Amino acid sequence: MINSMLKMAGVALVLSTAGTANAQQYPVDTVTLITHSSPGGGSDVFLRELSGYLAPILGVNVVVENVRGGSGAAAMADMAQAPADGSRFYATTPTFIYTSLLSNPEYTYEDLEPLVNFFIDPEVIYTATDSPYQTLDDVIDAARAGRGVWGAANPASLERQALEQLKAVTGVEAGIVSHEGGGDLMINVLNGTLDIGVGEVQELQGQLEAGEIRLLATFSDARLDLFPDLPTVQELGYDVVVRKFRGLAGPQGIPDDVVAAWEAAVQQVLASPEYRAVYEPNNLRAAFIPHDEYVEFIDNFATETATFLRETGVIE
Amino acid sequence: MDTILISAGYLLDYQIVLAALIGVTWGIIGGALPGISPSITMALLLPFTYTMEPTAAIVLLAATYVGAEYGGSVPAILIRTPGTNAAAATVLDGYEMNKQGKAGLALGISLYSGVLGSLFGLTMLVLLSKPLAAVALSFTPPAYFALGILGLSVIATLSGDSLIKGMIAAVLGLMVATIGTDPVTGGTRFTMGSSDLLGGIAPVMVMVGLFAMSELLAQASDRGPSERVKSRPRIEFPSLSLAKRLLRPQSIGGVIGTFEGVMPGAGGTIASFMSYNEARRWSKYPDEFGKGSPEGVAAPETANNAVAETALVPLLSFGIPGSNSTAILLGGFLIHGIVPGPMLFQRSGEIVYGLYAGLFTAAIGLLFIGMALLPLCIWIVNRPRAYLNAFIFALILSGIYSIHNSLFDLSIMLAAGVVGFLMRMLKFPFLPTVLGLVLGYLVESSFRRSLVISGDDYAIFLNDRISLALLCVSALFILGSIGKRIWDRIRHNEQKTFSEGTDG
Repeated sequence: MINSMLKMAGVALVLSTAGTANAQQYPVDTVTLITHSSPGGGSDVFLRELSGYLAPILGVNVVVENVRGGSGAAAMADMAQAPADGSRFYATTPTFIYTSLLSNPEYTYEDLEPLVNFFIDPEVIYTATDSPYQTLDDVIDAARAGRGVWGAANPASLERQALEQLKAVTGVEAGIVSHEGGGDLMINVLNGTLDIGVGEVQELQGQLEAGEIRLLATFSDARLDLFPDLPTVQELGYDVVVRKFRGLAGPQGIPDDVVAAWEAAVQQVLASPEYRAVYEPNNLRAAFIPHDEYVEFIDNFATETATFLRETGVIE
Repeated sequence: MDTILISAGYLLDYQIVLAALIGVTWGIIGGALPGISPSITMALLLPFTYTMEPTAAIVLLAATYVGAEYGGSVPAILIRTPGTNAAAATVLDGYEMNKQGKAGLALGISLYSGVLGSLFGLTMLVLLSKPLAAVALSFTPPAYFALGILGLSVIATLSGDSLIKGMIAAVLGLMVATIGTDPVTGGTRFTMGSSDLLGGIAPVMVMVGLFAMSELLAQASDRGPSERVKSRPRIEFPSLSLAKRLLRPQSIGGVIGTFEGVMPGAGGTIASFMSYNEARRWSKYPDEFGKGSPEGVAAPETANNAVAETALVPLLSFGIPGSNSTAILLGGFLIHGIVPGPMLFQRSGEIVYGLYAGLFTAAIGLLFIGMALLPLCIWIVNRPRAYLNAFIFALILSGIYSIHNSLFDLSIMLAAGVVGFLMRMLKFPFLPTVLGLVLGYLVESSFRRSLVISGDDYAIFLNDRISLALLCVSALFILGSIGKRIWDRIRHNEQKTFSEGTDG
């Protein structure tokens, strides 16, 4: 009796491994993905959706854990001290670079090793529907003639950095006003205080559908699938491209087999029709970046950001 | 009309109804305990609202305020000790009625006057709050700056006898508000390398420390014997002819309560004393006042409950807390990332309508819960203070710790408690500190944002019409208050210091 139960258990075990593991065996059974956002926040939702599709491909359990505190400082400390065996990764956005540079936490992005990238969220320029600006050129011309007032959601953010770069390449006079989040920014665009605002398409969806705002350009490197008529800032002749990345980072010294497993799995999950049906309507743009390139990408991103923060007088 | 229909729908939401009833119950008990003001009663609940659904959380806190305003009259009538400052006027005739063996009738009048005051105040709240939402979108950064200044100008009227002490207390709050992230550059300020301080100091920790913790410390240092309730009264309601006679003082209380509630900085204590005086002036039996007049109970008890509702008008419409209790309620909003003010109705209308429904439930629930809870209130009032305080201390510690499971939060709260205790000893008012803390960031960020918009041109504050109007009102507030102080000084009048300490 006991013997037959053991046999059945053995059969079940074999079946389950055969059904999940793809090519190689991943070194650990459970992978924990941590995020600094609270349950229900942007990165948290992204991870929880992703984990369901990723688990069968990697052949492991994928668990999401919220390590909050200090805008990512706690998560970076957690990750820097985690074992480098592929069991624990941190879902990163530009926030972890900003926190590292602004807050001087004990552990920074330099103590971590970027793994791979999943997505690039497009950032777009928008204005109120009843504003006189029909194109980005109108906005730039107006700023050149007098003085522009442009808005970003947060003080130390990629959106502000994008506007500062736009101001620098055009050489116009513009005040760049930061807010306490996208909602505050939206009000000041709608009531005409600001000429333009910058935000992610996702968070603008409500006002776009209500016809209250008009998109003028996107900071992405190519036109967006959902808005094929929307020009990129670059093709309008202003050389600014912004990449708001969403990827993973782990402790220093991630083993090669783990890296290889993730590179294969991420390409597979991004191509899977079921997952595409989830992320494409949300305006997430799949942008797989392999490990070696991604390490370099993050490094460049951090250098650019540090330069921007130094030039705007935020850090010394 | 729409407002009433939409709000009525929320009466079917069991979460809101439950929150309202629990709030009233908790409020009555807290209000009945001498020394535990409505704001402390609310502050004790504040940490536990973190995990609640936002509307239910706000309803819970607002209903607590309503319950506490009635609860304060129980010890006022029975042991001549007002449970809340706003119940102090109730002592005058309520305790006299008790001596004449009419304690049950006094409690009954207090209870149903409170219910009437709540319903009247709620009606005024609904009527007065809505029109302001219409201009919400035209609030630009300079207008928000002026709004913050208007809020801070209230300090002039509520600083008690010393304007200097009020200013010092306010600056303390403003200083704490600068800790954290710079609103324009995004750099960090005064965080001393601690990642716990990156987000700034949450007003909740400071409020719980200042109000609740410091009260425990003050009570621990006071070893006098406390009064005990010896009688076992049962609530009686007045006869029809007496009820008709009480309509006049209740109307007076309702109107004065509304007026004082809407004015930031006035509060329930002034309202109840003013309506007591006015009720005596207009009464057919002015001689009975002070000798156990039922009118002398009805007027102040209607007034302080009307204040509990109408004090929400400046909070909901402008985000300005005019009293300690509404400051705590503001803390409840902020916990859930909701900022009361011009945009509240557009962004979180469901919370406003849910709140109206919850307040209605609370007013009706007050009648029944107030009757049922009287024996429990008497029992609790008779417990030795030390046991009660130990219980409250445990409640504060566990509440604050449970927010983020953080010992750092606890130490902030305890530090605020010690500061609050010292402020009590030195007779510094708390409310300016809390106002400085909750308005400091708004004022600073809107000011600097406006200057970025205008290119460092200060005229932007005068060119924006809303900003100009609000700044003028603030100036009138400050000048009026200073003028009154000078006038009082000249006439050698003793000022009454209602807003000192733990005023509701």
